[in-house]
Amino acid sequence: MAEGLTWNVYDANTMTQADIYGDVLCLLGEKYDRIVGLSADLAKSTKIGKFAEKYPHRFFNAGVAEQNMFGMAAGLALSGLIPVVSTMAVFTTMRAAEQVRTDICYQNLNVKIIATHGGISFGQAGTTHQCTEDIAIMRSMANMTVVVPADGIECGNAVIACIEHPGPVYIRIGRGFDPTCYADDKYGFEIGKSVEIVPGSDITLICCGITVLQAREAARILKESNGLSVRVINMHTIKPLDTEAVRKAIAETRRIITFEDHNIYGGLGSAVAEVIAESGRACAFTRVGIPDCYSLVGYPEDLYHHYKLDADGIVEKVREVMGKDFEEEENWEDGF
Amino acid sequence: MVSDMAPDKDRMAAQLFLQALFPLLKVVLEDNRNIRKKFEGVNAKIQFVARDDREGDLGACLSFDNGTLEVVQGICPDPAIAFKFSSVKRMAAMLAGKPALVRIGGFYRIGLIFKLLSLLMSLTLLMPTAKPKDPAKKRLKVKLSIYMMAASLSRYNKLGDPEINKWTGKQPERVYQFSVTGENDIAAYLRVKAGNTQAGPGRYTKRKPFVHMQFRGIDEAIPVMLNEINMVEAVDKGYLSLEGSPEYARDLGNFLMRIQTLVMG
Repeated sequence: MAEGLTWNVYDANTMTQADIYGDVLCLLGEKYDRIVGLSADLAKSTKIGKFAEKYPHRFFNAGVAEQNMFGMAAGLALSGLIPVVSTMAVFTTMRAAEQVRTDICYQNLNVKIIATHGGISFGQAGTTHQCTEDIAIMRSMANMTVVVPADGIECGNAVIACIEHPGPVYIRIGRGFDPTCYADDKYGFEIGKSVEIVPGSDITLICCGITVLQAREAARILKESNGLSVRVINMHTIKPLDTEAVRKAIAETRRIITFEDHNIYGGLGSAVAEVIAESGRACAFTRVGIPDCYSLVGYPEDLYHHYKLDADGIVEKVREVMGKDFEEEENWEDGF
Repeated sequence: MVSDMAPDKDRMAAQLFLQALFPLLKVVLEDNRNIRKKFEGVNAKIQFVARDDREGDLGACLSFDNGTLEVVQGICPDPAIAFKFSSVKRMAAMLAGKPALVRIGGFYRIGLIFKLLSLLMSLTLLMPTAKPKDPAKKRLKVKLSIYMMAASLSRYNKLGDPEINKWTGKQPERVYQFSVTGENDIAAYLRVKAGNTQAGPGRYTKRKPFVHMQFRGIDEAIPVMLNEINMVEAVDKGYLSLEGSPEYARDLGNFLMRIQTLVMG
């Protein structure tokens, strides 16, 4: 983590991803004087307020006017600054979609978007504040990089990396006090390069966001209860996707399930499906996420359980897929 | 009075010899130029058959077509030479290198019998007591042993041993790979899925092995084949690397020990 950071992994257990990114951004502000912050009356909720408190002359509150805010960010980027824009995912990707696309992505501007309350992490706020379409929308915008960190530690890594990464970047985080997945930040985070957190050869689980930790726990349960060797990949970058890791999983395990806090259409599952289809190889494949509906309203933990995005749900899905035959290869004659 | 009826284990041991070991004679012919030369132009069928009144006679036929060998399970018509055993137990004993009474039909084809004996004797390389010094023979011993591991495990399952049936029955599709580093042709695999097994030479490329037992080289594999060191010691010394599930690798080792005990008596 950046030098001088005042929190550690123990603190991370009591901090949201947003808390961590707020702190990291403050530190980065010291190193990069070109960083400026913007929010739309949500500085406190999104934690970019920490940056605003430390650097009040480098922070702009656009009010409840997200479209204007992204237009301002484009102008600031054109003047050589590095705008970091933070608001809820639902307002970033839908209310201000045109400005993000035409003002920022079209010109390939160096704007960093940190969108909070992604997926159903703010489930109790209802459909207006849930956001299960953002990855699909952002992924389809040319020049945009899309990152979905697994936990607060990875969120810190992603924020640091995105400042050095040219062009627009969309970092999608949640709201809740999610448990940490990583013990520390030294695991080789790199935009566009996935992390195999559990090795395995029977099946591969490709995950992003909160599902990474749940999949790791599911892999442990499946090993102990079914003797299954389950590979878990943290696909933190949805675009550009680490296609090499997906192709390797196809070749080596022949079964893949994706898990994401997002509609099953257009997100991680769709990105992986594209790679599988283009590979020309047979592979049993299932996407797990929000099954093309508007989510129920409730606490995130209950919703994750309902949509089979928690460890128990993942275990159930794996057992289901393991029972499927995916290829006619039923020649059992010995070859000697 | 000792019954000459075949207990299951005797029949299974004989079947392992005929169905897993005999096909490896083709490997000997491919690798050993001297023996291959002896069989150039040979067109003949050589039958091995053991009487089994309970489950039916058991046999296999080595069929040479212009020196090329095909192993045919069962009884072939009009063999040039026939090795006839009064019981499967006696056939298994003879194939394990022990003395056993055998009636030979076609004994007058003494030249062919000598050629055949040289071929069969080459399989004694597989015995734990065979310590070849010649590099080519060492290489062949390791190759045959690795092929035999995969072939015998698959056959043991197909012959219905309840323990290995239970083990394979619970597994999704998995590949167990055996290989020697740097020796591309010394590799064999065992594929398992829901009770089915398939053994084959080479490296299975369609999926990552669930367990990969890889010897560091020929010289490092030999002490394990000779039972001079066990697999745990081999791993400890760096002679053998085990990638994948250690529990299932242990199971494989246990089944190989059971097979060895069964066939060697």
